[in-house]
Amino acid sequence: MKFGRDDLHTLTGVYALDAIEPAERARFEHHLGRCRPCGNEVRGLAETATGLAMAAAVTPPPQLKQRVMTAVDLTRQLPPADQHRSRPALRTAWTPRLAAVAAAVSLIAAAALAAVGLSTRGELDRARAQNQAIAAVLAAPDARIKTQATTEGGTATVVMSRSEQKIIVTTAGLPKLPPAKVYELWLMGPPSTREAGLLPTPRSGKTAPVLASGLAAGDRVGVTVEPAGGTTRPTTPPILVMSLSG
Amino acid sequence: MNGRELRAVRPGPGSAEGRDQDLDRLLGLVTRGDKDAFEAVYDRMAGPVYGLIRRVIRDPAQSEEVTQEVLLEVWRTASRFDAARGSATTWMMTIAHRRAVDRVRSAAATAERERRCAQPEAAADEVAETVAANLDAERVRHCLGGLNELQRESITLAYYGGYSYPQVAQLLGTALGTVKTRIRDGLIRMRDCMGVNW
Repeated sequence: MKFGRDDLHTLTGVYALDAIEPAERARFEHHLGRCRPCGNEVRGLAETATGLAMAAAVTPPPQLKQRVMTAVDLTRQLPPADQHRSRPALRTAWTPRLAAVAAAVSLIAAAALAAVGLSTRGELDRARAQNQAIAAVLAAPDARIKTQATTEGGTATVVMSRSEQKIIVTTAGLPKLPPAKVYELWLMGPPSTREAGLLPTPRSGKTAPVLASGLAAGDRVGVTVEPAGGTTRPTTPPILVMSLSG
Repeated sequence: MNGRELRAVRPGPGSAEGRDQDLDRLLGLVTRGDKDAFEAVYDRMAGPVYGLIRRVIRDPAQSEEVTQEVLLEVWRTASRFDAARGSATTWMMTIAHRRAVDRVRSAAATAERERRCAQPEAAADEVAETVAANLDAERVRHCLGGLNELQRESITLAYYGGYSYPQVAQLLGTALGTVKTRIRDGLIRMRDCMGVNW
């Protein structure tokens, strides 16, 4: 479905009520980042929806409070967000294709760097094969790039190509993990969440590109902290969930 | 009372605005790990959060579970609340509604819920039942009453019913575009009626 400007603008109401489907939501949020009147209208309508919420108040079961307070004791709070990227929803728009090409060059350089220090012929061949696969994604006419901050600091950059059904992920500035932990990537789709590889040990705070195949419609990219070696299902809350639409 | 009169009233301790400012302040303390402040947030907001979730999910056990998740998320992510982007109350109720909707839209919940909510017309009446409780609610009821039937039904099905607007269109046998614009028109009308300051 394609939407014109007017069509997008009339989504303010259903957006404020959370009555919008995920794909359309992503498209609308992209539009919101560039449409100040829409942003103001959404705020007013969201405050209005809050009136509806407050009108539905019901006394909760008394035992709930103790459970919540106990859970609070066991739950670590998020640190304040970096002020410069405090509005991720409005700032994670896909970069235009030209910028993608420039970023692609640095990705290839990173991949080449990752190959340094490989000793055996087999390792080098594998690194070359991976670089070729990465180059194929970067060269795809529909290749797009997107960067988003994680909740724990640092950023992840994803290059995706729907035609190749692949994504490439690099990161910069993620918090250092103890040796027994690893960052694991996920393709989180409406039907299922699939493993998409482990982030390698960072060099100067950056991780070499990881290539993942099998990208499906509606997939989002997730990152979690897992035990070394990785797991088959996420066991911790994601520090990043990146929508690939919009 | 119309929107203009409300806007002219200075926010006192009992007004919605006064309460919002207080909640802002409490969330600031929560950010620093203040459990007493969180308890105060709980005392103030657990009712609205649970009530909204209960309205959407219906099942009391699941509603309780989701309410706990939401309140814990408020504790965990308090530092991400940004007063420049909206009120503290709206920040919390948006999390609550989003979570409730996620729960009912997950495939497993759908079948069971459809069995229970075969009567979409009930939604508007139920609002009337719950309201009597407080002044805010009285105002909401009054403003809902000022909408035409399609606007009111679309809004209550979408918000309290947790339906997406294409589902609302299907339930009401109305065109998609019509539901979309009725919801927007109705909300704008309610916004003006309620004297929302945006």
